[in-house]
Amino acid sequence: MSPALPIPVVQLLQVVTIAVAAPGVSGVISRVEARLQGRTGPRVLQPYYDIAKLFRKEALAPIGSSWVFLAAPVAAMTCYLTVPLLIPVLTTFGLPLGYMGDILGGGFILSLASFLVAVAALDSGSPYAQLGASRAKTFGAITEPVVLFVVFTVALVTGTDLPYALAATVRSTAGQIIRPAHLLAAAALFMVILYETGRIPVETHTGTNEFGMIEEARPFEHSGPYFALLKWGSAMKQLILFTILLNVFVAPWGLAATPSLVSVLLAIAALIGKAALLGVVVAVIDNSFAKLRLFKITEFAAGAFLLAVLGVFTLYLGGG
Amino acid sequence: MSGVVAATVAAPSALSGGANVIAVGVLLAEFGMFRQALLRDQVRLYAAQSALISVLAVVVAATRHLPDLYALAALSFALKTVIVPVVLRRMLRGIGAIGGDPRWNDIAGSTALSVASAVLIAIAVAAFGFFTVAALGLTSPVLPATALSISVAVVLVSFVLMIVRRDVISQAIGFLSLENGVSLTALVVAAGLPLILEIAFLFDLLVAVVVFGLLIRVHHGRAESMSTAELTSLRG
Amino acid sequence: MLVVLALPLAAALICLRAPLAVARAVTACSGAASFALVLVLIPAAAQRDIDYLRVLRVDALSAVFMLATGFLYAAVAVYSIGYLSGDQGGHVPSRRTRRLWAGLNLFAWAMLAAPMTSNLALLWVAIEVTTVISALLVAVEDTDGAAEAAWKYVLLASAGLGLALLATIFAYYAGAHVLGQSYDLGFTQLLAVASRLPHAAVQLTFVLAVLGFGTKMGLVPVHTWLPDAHSEAPTPVSALLSGSLLAISFYAILRFYQVAEAALGPTFPRNVLLVFGVASLLLSMLYLFGQRDVKRLLAYSSVEHMGILAIGVSFGAPAALAGVLLHVLAHAAAKGNAFMGAGVLVRKLGTKQISAIRGGLDLLPWSGPLFLLAVFALGAMPPFGLFRSEFEIVAGGLGSGSYAAAAILIIAVTTAFFGLAGSVTRMLMLPLPRPAAPAADRIPVAAGAGADSSIAAQPDAASGTTTSAPVPARGEPSAWMVVPVVAGALALLWLGVHPPAALDELFARAVTLLGGGAS
Repeated sequence: MSPALPIPVVQLLQVVTIAVAAPGVSGVISRVEARLQGRTGPRVLQPYYDIAKLFRKEALAPIGSSWVFLAAPVAAMTCYLTVPLLIPVLTTFGLPLGYMGDILGGGFILSLASFLVAVAALDSGSPYAQLGASRAKTFGAITEPVVLFVVFTVALVTGTDLPYALAATVRSTAGQIIRPAHLLAAAALFMVILYETGRIPVETHTGTNEFGMIEEARPFEHSGPYFALLKWGSAMKQLILFTILLNVFVAPWGLAATPSLVSVLLAIAALIGKAALLGVVVAVIDNSFAKLRLFKITEFAAGAFLLAVLGVFTLYLGGG
Repeated sequence: MSGVVAATVAAPSALSGGANVIAVGVLLAEFGMFRQALLRDQVRLYAAQSALISVLAVVVAATRHLPDLYALAALSFALKTVIVPVVLRRMLRGIGAIGGDPRWNDIAGSTALSVASAVLIAIAVAAFGFFTVAALGLTSPVLPATALSISVAVVLVSFVLMIVRRDVISQAIGFLSLENGVSLTALVVAAGLPLILEIAFLFDLLVAVVVFGLLIRVHHGRAESMSTAELTSLRG
Repeated sequence: MLVVLALPLAAALICLRAPLAVARAVTACSGAASFALVLVLIPAAAQRDIDYLRVLRVDALSAVFMLATGFLYAAVAVYSIGYLSGDQGGHVPSRRTRRLWAGLNLFAWAMLAAPMTSNLALLWVAIEVTTVISALLVAVEDTDGAAEAAWKYVLLASAGLGLALLATIFAYYAGAHVLGQSYDLGFTQLLAVASRLPHAAVQLTFVLAVLGFGTKMGLVPVHTWLPDAHSEAPTPVSALLSGSLLAISFYAILRFYQVAEAALGPTFPRNVLLVFGVASLLLSMLYLFGQRDVKRLLAYSSVEHMGILAIGVSFGAPAALAGVLLHVLAHAAAKGNAFMGAGVLVRKLGTKQISAIRGGLDLLPWSGPLFLLAVFALGAMPPFGLFRSEFEIVAGGLGSGSYAAAAILIIAVTTAFFGLAGSVTRMLMLPLPRPAAPAADRIPVAAGAGADSSIAAQPDAASGTTTSAPVPARGEPSAWMVVPVVAGALALLWLGVHPPAALDELFARAVTLLGGGAS
């Protein structure tokens, strides 16, 4: 019998796993993407080196920016460190601090982080950053309700809005996966993830295409450690969203049922593996579709909204 | 355990869940038509929708042991997924085919609203349909009640589609998808249909295609474009 | 009964092949014969319901509508002989004339078949057939307006029929609860178990049926195809459309009303009909003013009368219901006359614009006055049949306590009469403008120089324009076009003054079918 880890350690491990694995997942995605394009691509661990390098660099702030500009990356990072406490990252059972907030709370904290970064971008005074921030918030007007509706779906299926409960329900029978509400909510969440992490068809993740940048434009003016924090933070956001999608909706298997060391380690490995797989899917999508023109992104967001709303309807009104 | 305690919704069996998914697929295809700009894509989407309905008919036939339904599914598949798109394509190719410039690849006429607004309105309309069916408490002996709500929603959304679209072909496809919605309703409500209603469907569809075809030809004979934005002379 | 069914169909087939002269004769004979056969059916239908072959069924209600259709069929058949032969280079291309004849026969056949069906599904099929045929007939003229009207008609009517099909499905669903999964939607069956049908389903069915069939009937707000289609179609087709097809769609609604009333009690169905009826009446009344096209004017009048029908049924008293049935007959005759008269005017003066038609009474010694009479009849002037029917409807309404609706009815009808008569009297009574001098360019001509015409004093803007075309000669374009109108006028008088006793029996039985007296 492997030793049982104390619960607080497990909780801490959740945060640490997300923080440490996040850049790796980004690395996997860029590598796979490059491979699909026929290039060799950067090494998988490249993002770590990038972040380390950035930490050594000098930080500059634009003239006229205020303390917000410098505080925002730190605050956002804090939010991103908080959310893994609330969602089922490693375990099937709820951890003590996990009751601080439900999935709705998790969603709010993520939005808060995004909002802070946007405010910092506005504060910088640079036109590209401001453009990106305004675009992000405009489309966010449609994508945020989608997240809400997805949460409603969770609530209606399980009677609670704790993500742990939904994961347990999904694991219970095969029928749960097939039901349309579940599939619709998962699809809607996936579309929101594509939007939030700045992937095709919403924007090109690599490169700086000023006419199309939304997510990528916001950290335009930051530099040095702050930029490192922002990059790290957005990688963490990506992994958090992946985790929610995987461990709550799509594939809630491989989570540790007991706090024993072996099962926790297995859980970590499972999470990284699943996230990598999802990253491969995202890379394939990246290479298969073209970026949507900016005004057509509303159609994309409306599509996600449609899926989420239909999920709630079929559930609430039809028992589907 | 904290969290909101509310009545949970029981999970359906895998089979009815699958049937629900197909029904949802039909509704999604309906919404998808809002986005399609090319006429050819609209026709293809309509064919996909009809195929989904045929699949659902087969599923129902298999689970409820209704041999007539197999025949109906096959017939409607042949008619709506194969013949109608072919006829439409033929019509489009015939029209405007001067020097091999078929209308098949034409972009549909501009719509009254942008896609996103139209989708949002359609969502509202579909919500109305859902709530009405739920409020009336209608159930179906054949498929879960969701499918009934979905079929009514398909009919309503196809109305929105017909209103928003400006050119003749898109309106025709909107009407054909209305037909799909009605046949889906029939499937849900009464799989043990008397033969009369089944004949009525196919008859309706046949008639629709013939009449539409004739009229589109007449229409195009008169007006060079297929856009009904030109048809504003009769007013008041 | 079978002969009634088969005869127009045979006539249609003949028309497709035969030379035009034969086609005309065949159609006329078929029309007259069908009418005669329907007359024969009436006494029988007044006594009992006739079932035949499991798919055909004639009861008193159907007989009324068949009578209306039969009469119009005969009238229009004769009228068309004149209309189409005198069509020198008119709007209907000659290759299509044969199709027009065949189409007329097919159209009448479908409209005669619909009341004879015994179940809801076949009823729907029959009405669908009428839609198809009438759409093709509307489009037979080679103009832009006709194409637009036909497209709008097909789209709206088919969408409405889709809703009606949905209603039929839900009716089946309601019945399945009681009768089991497979049964045909026969009226007698449904009516027998009506009290046991689930309420929600029947409510949904009825609303959908009113919306769906109401589209074909011309109820607001789904009436928008009606003015276009009725004005762009050739006149005989317009007459049939307005006089018969709207009535047949109303018949379909009445069948659903029967079931709904038996299942739900009278309140809900009547309220639904009342809402739509009042809306139709008010809206059409407003639109009647300011119309520029004569056939469009008459089309809106049709919408008005359909509204009256719906309101009449919603009153529910036996007198009102009898009035409704009489109204169906009288409206068929009057509207047919009106369209036929308008057709003659249009043929004579070459235009459909009200502002350009003048001097009808001078030019047309027969059709002019007859047209005037028809329009007065439409405005419910005594002693015509429509006055009697509307009187009965209002009496029934007041008797059953629907004072507000009855008041609205009276006001609206009166207003509509002004709207209708205003335009029509201008067309008929104002004298034609004199032609300009041959060598002159555009000299505005003063409005009419009839010394005895006091109306001529006002500067009528439209007739102040030049007419370089020669004044049409006085005289009827064709005798064929006059005879049916005369017959129609006589029928109207007869209905108004003293309807035959057989009709009364028929009405009485039909009224009981509709649940008259229950309130």
